[in-house]
Amino acid sequence: MSAIRETADQVATLGEKYKYGFVTDIEMEVTPKGLNEDVVRLISGKKNEPEWMLEWRLGAFRRWKEMTEPSWARVHYPKIDYQNSSYYAAPKANPKLESLDEVDPKLLETYAKLGIPLHEQKLLAGVAVDAVFDSVSVATTFKKKLGEAGVIFCPISEAIREHPELVKKYLGSVVPVSDNFFATLNSAVFSDGSFVYVPKGVRCPMELSTYFRINASETGQFERTLIIAEEGAYVSYLEGCTAPMRDENQLHAAVVELVALDGAEIKYSTVQNWYPGNEEGVGGIFNFVTKRGDCRGRDSKISWTQVETGSAITWKYPSCILRGDNSVGEFYSIAIANNYQQADTGTKMIHLGRNTRSRIVSKGISAGHAQNTYRGLVSVHPKAENARNHTQCDSLLIGKSCGAHTVPYIESRNPSARIEHEATTSKIAEDQLFYCTSRGINQEEAVALIVNGFCKEVLQQLPMEFAVEAQKLVGISLEGSVG
Amino acid sequence: MTTRAASPNPFLEDFAAHAAELPGVGQPWLDARRADAIKLVRAQGIPHRRIEDWKYTDLRSALEGTNDPGKAPSVARLRNAVEQGIEVFEFKGDAPKWVVDGFGVIGIDGTMSAASFALAQSTIALHVPANAKPAKPLEYEFSGQTRLLIVVEAGAAVTLLETPIGGDDSFSNAGIEIVLYEGAKLNHIRTASNAASAIVLEDLTVQVASAAQYRAHFMSTGTKLSRTELHVTLEGKGAEAHVSGVSVLGDGRHADVTTHIVHAAADTRSTQLFKDIAGGHSRGVYQGKITVAEGADGSDSRQTAKGLLLGVHAEIDLKPELEIYADDVKCAHGAAVGDLDVESLFYLGSRGIPEAEARALLMRAFLGDAVDEIENADIRASVWSKVEAALAKATEAKP
Repeated sequence: MSAIRETADQVATLGEKYKYGFVTDIEMEVTPKGLNEDVVRLISGKKNEPEWMLEWRLGAFRRWKEMTEPSWARVHYPKIDYQNSSYYAAPKANPKLESLDEVDPKLLETYAKLGIPLHEQKLLAGVAVDAVFDSVSVATTFKKKLGEAGVIFCPISEAIREHPELVKKYLGSVVPVSDNFFATLNSAVFSDGSFVYVPKGVRCPMELSTYFRINASETGQFERTLIIAEEGAYVSYLEGCTAPMRDENQLHAAVVELVALDGAEIKYSTVQNWYPGNEEGVGGIFNFVTKRGDCRGRDSKISWTQVETGSAITWKYPSCILRGDNSVGEFYSIAIANNYQQADTGTKMIHLGRNTRSRIVSKGISAGHAQNTYRGLVSVHPKAENARNHTQCDSLLIGKSCGAHTVPYIESRNPSARIEHEATTSKIAEDQLFYCTSRGINQEEAVALIVNGFCKEVLQQLPMEFAVEAQKLVGISLEGSVG
Repeated sequence: MTTRAASPNPFLEDFAAHAAELPGVGQPWLDARRADAIKLVRAQGIPHRRIEDWKYTDLRSALEGTNDPGKAPSVARLRNAVEQGIEVFEFKGDAPKWVVDGFGVIGIDGTMSAASFALAQSTIALHVPANAKPAKPLEYEFSGQTRLLIVVEAGAAVTLLETPIGGDDSFSNAGIEIVLYEGAKLNHIRTASNAASAIVLEDLTVQVASAAQYRAHFMSTGTKLSRTELHVTLEGKGAEAHVSGVSVLGDGRHADVTTHIVHAAADTRSTQLFKDIAGGHSRGVYQGKITVAEGADGSDSRQTAKGLLLGVHAEIDLKPELEIYADDVKCAHGAAVGDLDVESLFYLGSRGIPEAEARALLMRAFLGDAVDEIENADIRASVWSKVEAALAKATEAKP
């Protein structure tokens, strides 16, 4: 109840609905607009990358030029001019930082405004943060403590220089370079992102977290994240994202790859709150993201949890390849679309190994004029003896002008596999609202309460601190949608 | 995207060869609609698996075999005499108004429905007058490119029994348009083709006015490639559609049932119940889309699709899709693929029933509730005997 109260308070005190809409005035280094091989070379050069990495990028770029943008998703947006955007933007003059003290205070201020404490003293106990500002990673905290456990947590640009053998082995092994249009574009121009390596038998001593921030205008953000959990390792990782309010649409095309070896477990949580555009649907981030986890080892587990409240367009399908016998894939999602937002999101569970299990819980909420689509694939291959899947897909409609859509694909090629899919669509019932208001709860609070109840199964999956944040976000995202 | 070098389109060749001999040719309204249809065929080409709706049914590859659409004789006929003032028009002479108003108006939405409209050399239109309730079903048979229009006036109730009769290696593409006026009712039962190596396609478009009801059952044993595509629009308040079906597939069979039910008006209801059993090398497909349009408040829609695989070479693909633009609705869908329930098998075993028999019993129960949706007892019994025969074949094909 207290979270609900806080939600309502926050909604009431907020002058604007999107509190992350500010721009940090900081000197930036931005490459000229446009995309060609020289830009790819320039990005690679800025990062002091080895030759093999440049070749990898150029290979991706050449393939991308041959590819066409996919059009199967239920999202409509003006054609993106890929030449009218900058592919690299960085805060100026901080090539190498030894400690947080050297970070531009303005940057620290930005992150403080976002509620992300980079300063170690202020950190929530046990959360290590990597902050990515436009194209570069500005600070990674708790490096030393993680190092003692043998965990590598650093910007991917650093990993390419310092752990090339790991990057070479795993980069592109889950999401191949030519996987899809946006992933290929990312492969060519990705600028930074996080790299996590948890060695054999190590349980990562703290939650790892990355905050992504788009600041500069007319730029795109292309981050790349790679997480590897060796045999028996465990890691929990959380990412958050925000961007300023602008009338233009900005492109965000990230790639996330997870690799879980024998008995390893990776928990990946996202609170996505990119700028969604204003009430008329002007501006906002185009979020085209490829996320995939590979349960490569026996008894491994990958769990995706996402709270999607931002972005004008969301095109995102965090998936699991259940290759190892007895591996487990999970997908818990809350997608909220308000005003003119469009979300097409879901997952793919590819069952290859024996006794593989997957669970999908998706909660979609549409309000205003938004369109919200769940799109998911469960595929069982002939060798996946005794595979199990359960999918639950619930949609909630708030208002008469929005849409909620469900597009599940079920493909089974093994007789011993069991796949179950259920979906429901409902609205916030008048009697529920009436009951709440008769108890003295105002309408806005009542909606937050009901929606939080609707999402509970997913919220429970988030790490505690973020569950609280996410609950508030749910309330704020739906402000003004009823009455 | 791979695009093949302009491979010859047999439908266009067919049209070029036979346009002048088509039924009713020379009537300007019909010539114009045919010209539009062939334009659509030319623009869209032959469906293949890269087209989302045809992902699981690759017609282009199947046509590379022996099934030459150009050679398929076009047959569309009624097996029995009509009663109670039902009018049959076979496109000899000028078309009455109800034909002009209906024929080719609602049922052209893709290559295959456009092809059957533009190419059908055999075509029938049926008119059931208001409040007519003929006791006997209309028995319709077809092969090759054919077209059928049924207009059921207010308050009438009629049963349509439909059977594909094309032989081995044949190609059939049936286009059917059904218009149900206020309070009318059509019971539609479609039974399977016997020709294993045939390609059998069917595109049904049904328009349902207020308080009218469309009931359909599709029984399929599959062929080399078969697809029944159903488009229903519930146009008037209180309109209903209840669709069920079973696909029982033996070795080498493919059956695709694709439905799209649109709730366009308030208080409309639809139910769907589909059961697939796939044995040997076979593939069962169900794609069902439900759209609830803005303003169609009080719509109630239910959809269930279940599949049972008998071996590792069989595949079942289900895609139950919801597209909802109204908030005061009840929509639920469920889909499941799996094996027979282990506990049920154990229970039957503990009662002394041998496993093979227990499995057969449970499979019948699995299919039974979909077949039970057929209202007419005689038709239900005849469909059931076909299901039994198909089940015996599907289970013997077990690798």
